[in-house]
Amino acid sequence: MCESCVDRIFSSGPAPCPVAGCHKTLRKAKFRKQTFEDIGVEREVDIRRRVMQILNRREEEFATKRAYDDFLEQREMIIANLVHGTDVAKTETDLQRYAQENLSSIRANQALEAQEATTFQERQTLEQEQARLRREAARQEYENERRELLAGREDVLSRLAAGRAGDAAAIAREGQRVLLKKSSARRSEEERIRQKQAVLRGSELRKGVAAPTTAGITGAPDSGLVKGLKKIEVPVPDKPYDPFGGLVPDKRDYYTLQEHYPSTYLDPIRQDTRMLAGGYDLREYYSRTLLEAFAGLGCFLDEELSESGSLDASKPVATQGAAMAAATSGGNASKA
Amino acid sequence: MKFFIDDLPVLFPYPRIYPEQYAYMCDLKKTLDAGGHCVLEMPSGTGKTVSLLSLIVAYQQHYPEHRKLIYCSRTMSEIEKALTELKALMKYREGQLGHTEDFRALGLTSRKNLCLHPSVKREKSGTVVDARCRSLTAGFVKEKKERGEDVDLCIYHENLDLLEPHNLVPTGVFTLDGLIKYGEQHKQCPYFSARRMMPFCNVIIYSYHYLLDPKIAERVSRELSKDCIVVFDEAHNIDNVCIESLSIDITEDSLRKATRGASNLERKIEELKSSDAEKLQNEYTKLVEGLREAEQAREEDQFISNPVLPDDLLKEAVPGNIRRAEHFVSFLKRFIEYLKTRMKVTHTISETPPSFLTHLKDLTYIERKPLRFCAERLTSLVRTLELVNIEDYQPLQEVATFATLVATYDKGFCLILEPFESETATVPNPVLHFTCLDAAIAIKPVFDRFSSVIITSGTLSPLEMYPKMLGFTTVLQESYSMTLARRSFLPMIVTRGSDQAQVSSGFQIRNDPGVVRNYGNLVLEFARITPDGIVVFFPSYLYMESIISMWQGMGILDSIWNYKLILVETPDAQESSLALETYRTACCNGRGAVLFCVARGKVSEGIDFDHHYGRAVLCIGVPFQYTESRILKARLEFLRENYRIRENDFLSFDAMRHAAQCLGRVLRGKDDYGVMVLADRRFQKKRTQLPKWISQAMLESETNLSTDMAVATAKSFLRTMAQPFKAKDQEGISTWSLADLERHLAKQRQEEDRMKRETLADAQANNGFHRNGAGIADHDEFDDGIDEDLVMLDAQ
Ligand code: SF4
Ligand SMILES: [Zn+2]
Repeated sequence: MCESCVDRIFSSGPAPCPVAGCHKTLRKAKFRKQTFEDIGVEREVDIRRRVMQILNRREEEFATKRAYDDFLEQREMIIANLVHGTDVAKTETDLQRYAQENLSSIRANQALEAQEATTFQERQTLEQEQARLRREAARQEYENERRELLAGREDVLSRLAAGRAGDAAAIAREGQRVLLKKSSARRSEEERIRQKQAVLRGSELRKGVAAPTTAGITGAPDSGLVKGLKKIEVPVPDKPYDPFGGLVPDKRDYYTLQEHYPSTYLDPIRQDTRMLAGGYDLREYYSRTLLEAFAGLGCFLDEELSESGSLDASKPVATQGAAMAAATSGGNASKA
Repeated sequence: MKFFIDDLPVLFPYPRIYPEQYAYMCDLKKTLDAGGHCVLEMPSGTGKTVSLLSLIVAYQQHYPEHRKLIYCSRTMSEIEKALTELKALMKYREGQLGHTEDFRALGLTSRKNLCLHPSVKREKSGTVVDARCRSLTAGFVKEKKERGEDVDLCIYHENLDLLEPHNLVPTGVFTLDGLIKYGEQHKQCPYFSARRMMPFCNVIIYSYHYLLDPKIAERVSRELSKDCIVVFDEAHNIDNVCIESLSIDITEDSLRKATRGASNLERKIEELKSSDAEKLQNEYTKLVEGLREAEQAREEDQFISNPVLPDDLLKEAVPGNIRRAEHFVSFLKRFIEYLKTRMKVTHTISETPPSFLTHLKDLTYIERKPLRFCAERLTSLVRTLELVNIEDYQPLQEVATFATLVATYDKGFCLILEPFESETATVPNPVLHFTCLDAAIAIKPVFDRFSSVIITSGTLSPLEMYPKMLGFTTVLQESYSMTLARRSFLPMIVTRGSDQAQVSSGFQIRNDPGVVRNYGNLVLEFARITPDGIVVFFPSYLYMESIISMWQGMGILDSIWNYKLILVETPDAQESSLALETYRTACCNGRGAVLFCVARGKVSEGIDFDHHYGRAVLCIGVPFQYTESRILKARLEFLRENYRIRENDFLSFDAMRHAAQCLGRVLRGKDDYGVMVLADRRFQKKRTQLPKWISQAMLESETNLSTDMAVATAKSFLRTMAQPFKAKDQEGISTWSLADLERHLAKQRQEEDRMKRETLADAQANNGFHRNGAGIADHDEFDDGIDEDLVMLDAQ
């Protein structure tokens, strides 16, 4: 439809489609220029645009390439369905459901794509700029060389004009030499420029590599429509640092430290100012003795030995002795 | 004659050999021994091909590896010439050795030249012949026939299946003509005989394209083993061949045809779906599994071929979104529609592949990955659909090839969109040029694959340019000078007219009446003094037209007419060949003629003006390329950025190689003679870029002549040339008999000995000197000293 017709029919708000038999209501704002010559392709691309915005999974998100390929094919099927008008209702509902369920992932991928596009754009302009600079440099260099050549020639000429006849050869030779020197200087200059350019290119490249490609997607397991996605593992949040590696320092397995243990020998100390003045604390003593008494109870030589596979004859004795000691003092402790 | 190079016995089919031929062969052998690539510049008309063949055949037959020779030349007539030489050589060898060697050599050219089918061979266009032949020979057609369907087959092709597959033609050398004759007699197809016999040949001679054009190379040349010796003859233009083989031009018309092709495909798919859905399903499953048709029994069945793809890509499965046939077709359609939108340009645009891809993705959601598989996917589809009239799909295939290339290479390519065909056109006829800028891309597989690649021509100066542009390293680069018993060609540079005004085809003064008149006088003077034929080269058609019309106005043409017939080359091939014909007749019957032609035209490349067909060649102006072309600009920039070849260096190199080609046209042998005139002020500085054999023959005093001086020099030269000159005079100097060669070898050996002795003597002298300082030396001690020094020498 031509522009003036669109103006004529739709300028006063939405109006029904002028095509006979079609009862859709159209708006002027929805009219736009046709990009493609083939109207079929135009329509397909419109539909594609919509579908692609929803089904925008990325290759990194799939467990295998095969799964990704399957996904691509499926997307193609959906688009074909919509274009050819087969199963439209079902496809549409599927699509809508998927869109709702995977809102966050869709957003994330969209953002990612946009970001990629901008970095690419930036890089492109950078490259163009650099190419332009290089071109400029080459031209400059060429011109300089030319100027120098001319200047050198003039110089020789003027000196020839001024000098005596005998000098002519010498001057000419010198001129030659100067030229040679210049050309070798130019060559080294060229070398320098080349290196500079190489460095420049290198840095461009690195920039390119540094461009973010990480896919920050929040977890979404197989979401009905799309299959073969990578199982996304939510990383366990880091626990605070524990210097004892899970050991609780004041916890004892076999006893609880009491405030007071009745003992005729120890009791008087409680009142002895001579001892207390130095800061002596009986509790320290309790704790140490009990620790010594129970030390080794956590070790099960049986287990350790069977693990290492070697046998030790003295093993039962030692272990039993320790257990007995533990039992007695343990008894004491619990009695207390 | 028979002689030895090191331990290798060489049989040379002539009683005499040129010294440069001998040197050439020695260097060839060195290269083959070392196993590397080389660049050799051999003067034109010195029997390069025969030296090459006799050395390599000798090498092949003498050493147990029997390395195969792949000899590439440019035109069919050159291929035929080489085959004839080879045939003569083998006959000579047979006579000398007393037995027939088990040896096969075949040439290959297109179906168009070899076809025997009574109706197919009458087709004019090569692609139509190819397509029609395929529809008569494809595997599925045969299957159909076996199923009892009524389809046509080519009887010449069918007969091949009755023969032993490795012995389709007897041993020996077949020229193309010979092969066709043999095919006619035995009712077998010469084209397929040659192609299927390729693996069993000792020598294969075909055109560049079979190795360089990736679309063909894949099919024809892939079974060749690594140790083959590859020769590119007349290789001075090899970089352009490489570039052309990867460049694609797309017009609106071809897009329209491609759309039609895509719609046809769509229809065929629908048809197949209803008739034989299984076939499509099979293809689909194969693609899903990522299976390649590597096991495809007969490669010749393949209809459409693929451009170069990196190996890793070939192992990958086709992306999911183009796996199904219908999806792929809609994909293609989208791509074509996109290209159509791009055609609506109003000014010239040049773009890099990445930026093209981004725009493409923005508009049509076509990603890079499936695009890369485009060509391959199309091949597979075409095969599945068993299409017969392939020629209809040619434009579609071109688009697919373009898609694959643009998605594969970021660097070394450039897209140029031009709204108008030419500068002067007013009706838009947009063209999308997808041009390769890097000659190394196409030739890289060749260098990677074969251990010895020999690049040779009459004009390759400066030699180091080629390794640079094509990205390879050489073990040897050599330029040979021409040994002459008398000065048989006279190269001169004319910088001024008789009025001392400078002449040049430079842009500022090219239409200056004074310059034009001076050029006219130059041609006129030479027309007056030169017997028989003169060839005049101009930098471009445009310039030639304008200068000729100006000469017409000045009455110069009329004056030339008094001495010679005037003939002009045109872009039309038929007209040109008629002009050439007339020219030859005029040269033969004594009327004499001038041929005006263009330095980059057909004449300058392929046609020889030997003897009286060309006694003088005049190069009017430096044949620079048209620098305003966008494509050239892009290439120049690429060369500067990537190979550090400066714009001007390249342009001047390119102009000079064309000038040298033109000059070489008149001298086609040692008994030939001719005048070579370079008429432009700017040639004076570019003299060093001429091939060694030309620049060496140029006297310092003849590099800055005015017209009258040049004419005087040429006159006296022609007078001496008119003196009788017998073959005897050349003997020992520019041609060697076996005795001469032996003498030369002896001399060389002596020379070497002398050198050795001299170094020895030097060592002695040094020794003696030191000793003298220390007093008078004892004799025994003295000898010891020498030995020590000798050891040192060896160690060094
Ligand atoms: S098989 Fe040979 S003879 Fe038959 S059509 Fe093809 S090229 Fe011609
Ligand atoms: Zn209207």
